[in-house]
Amino acid sequence: MMDVTFWGVRGSIPSPGPGTVRYGGNTACVSVRLPGGELIILDCGTGARNLGISLLAGPFGKGKGSATLLLSHAHWDHIQGFPFFGPFYVPGNSFTVYGGSRGERLLEDVLERQMAAQFFPVQSFRNMGARMEMRPLVEDKDVRVGSATIRAHANPHGPTPALAFRIEAGGKSLAYASDAGYGSGGPPQTAVDLYRGVDLLIHDSTFTPEDRALRLERGLSSLEDALDCAARAEVKKLALFHYDQDYSDRDVDELVARGRRWLDERGAAGIEVIGAAEGLTVSL
Amino acid sequence: MRIRFWGVRGSLPVPGPRTERYGGNTSCVEVSSAAGTRIIIDAGTGIRRLGKELMHAEFESGKGAAHILISHTHWDHIQGLPFFAPFYRAGNKLFVYARQRDDQNLRSVLSLQVDSPFFPVPFHKARADVAFRELHDGAHFEINDVVVSCARLNHPYIATAYALSADGAKVAYIADTAPFSDILFGHEFLAGPPSPHSVLSKSDHKTLRTMRSQVVRLCEGADLVIYDTMFTPEEYRQTPHYGHSRPSDAVEICCDAGVRTLALYHHAPDRSDAEVDAVLASTRRDAKVTAPKLEVVAGFEGLDVALGKG
Repeated sequence: MMDVTFWGVRGSIPSPGPGTVRYGGNTACVSVRLPGGELIILDCGTGARNLGISLLAGPFGKGKGSATLLLSHAHWDHIQGFPFFGPFYVPGNSFTVYGGSRGERLLEDVLERQMAAQFFPVQSFRNMGARMEMRPLVEDKDVRVGSATIRAHANPHGPTPALAFRIEAGGKSLAYASDAGYGSGGPPQTAVDLYRGVDLLIHDSTFTPEDRALRLERGLSSLEDALDCAARAEVKKLALFHYDQDYSDRDVDELVARGRRWLDERGAAGIEVIGAAEGLTVSL
Repeated sequence: MRIRFWGVRGSLPVPGPRTERYGGNTSCVEVSSAAGTRIIIDAGTGIRRLGKELMHAEFESGKGAAHILISHTHWDHIQGLPFFAPFYRAGNKLFVYARQRDDQNLRSVLSLQVDSPFFPVPFHKARADVAFRELHDGAHFEINDVVVSCARLNHPYIATAYALSADGAKVAYIADTAPFSDILFGHEFLAGPPSPHSVLSKSDHKTLRTMRSQVVRLCEGADLVIYDTMFTPEEYRQTPHYGHSRPSDAVEICCDAGVRTLALYHHAPDRSDAEVDAVLASTRRDAKVTAPKLEVVAGFEGLDVALGKG
């Protein structure tokens, strides 16, 4: 069994307040517990803080934990939980951090700049205590992590690309595609191929189609892009993800309901669609 | 003079049902004078909603002006700046103030936040006119009808306290700071609390005493003091090297400075609404004995305070 838990589902900036209590206001973070017990963490937005608190109750609290962190890209909402992830501060814990191999700066440098003295009192991730190894992830090439096989593929996302991931283990499969700005042609075949047939596709659905039309330069998906991917890739379940910071719980309810109607009207009634929500675990 | 709280949380934003009443956004307080001068202290995530509200008035047509006083550039005090809508409208005039540093100028520190690969829109694409002004520790200046005074605070990498006077009223903003007793903070990384046997050097002790008296002077006779009270006494015992105060530290300063109202501020991310209620109740109970004239409130998002004539 593969357990997928959502800790942060919001895009751009955390959005606290009474309007976001049900789906949650924390930025992107998802944990994946593999059938063999290994832990993979997808992105490190503010949701990572609560994930860290829950992990500290187990081996990570005793300095005996290890996990793999996959970073889609370095925009704030995908890394800003990094300094607040408790298990990083317990010596003995060990982490492998994978990020993009493209772009002008190395992963280590990017994360180190977030920790610098003018921004954060810890000044360097080397002061955090846990062992951390940074590795570039080569696109479209399988990487073995414990019992899982991981493949990354870059999606366009405004001026910088963002990696999408496919994880397979024990006959179960998951794809994570946050921050995908496919452009006017819609999702390209290469992206659809990455998502092909997965048990769960977690996909950027930042905007309604109407809102996206006004914000094309943001390089993010609409609900329709997510549905289109799910239908073409014939996935089993689609989780909408990375909601706009101004969308209330009721707006997200409406997004999910529209998604259901869209799939039914296009003969894809077999695909389940849910709205990712903080605290929700999907067992595959 | 009108004061409005837009973000009251320390460290990082904490959305969720536990923080619904006090709010989960990081530091941001708006001060406006009767004559219409608009000053914003700190630019945590709370500034996003303030920006949206400002866009309903003159900032929408590019005719707005605001002065942003930054206490220091730790994330929870600047992370809302890229999401402040008036930045992206040509014609708006924004003035950003913070402490002068030896190592890096203010513009380059804030630019880093919006550079690739962290954010898609770099500074030069923000269309408002943005001017930067760097301040020394005891700076004293005017923004239109508002008189601003500054003092150094005791915090890692050093923070600045501000006092604002206008309309016959005064408000002081003290975040972030440790008490002026156990550790003198500067630029170096502190891995843990001082060892139980270590004694503060004479010169550090003197520096802290001077710093404290300048903060008291800054708060002298203030109608409202907004103060970093992130820690419970137990939390302070465990992590005095994080650079934050307890409510009792704030009450002492306010008492010495003859302050009318203290607003607890920069609540810890773990603190639930019920726990903030409890901190407020116990602070009021203690202050009744130590500072009977002091009124104590707890900052929450949406708290709106009118002071003086305006």
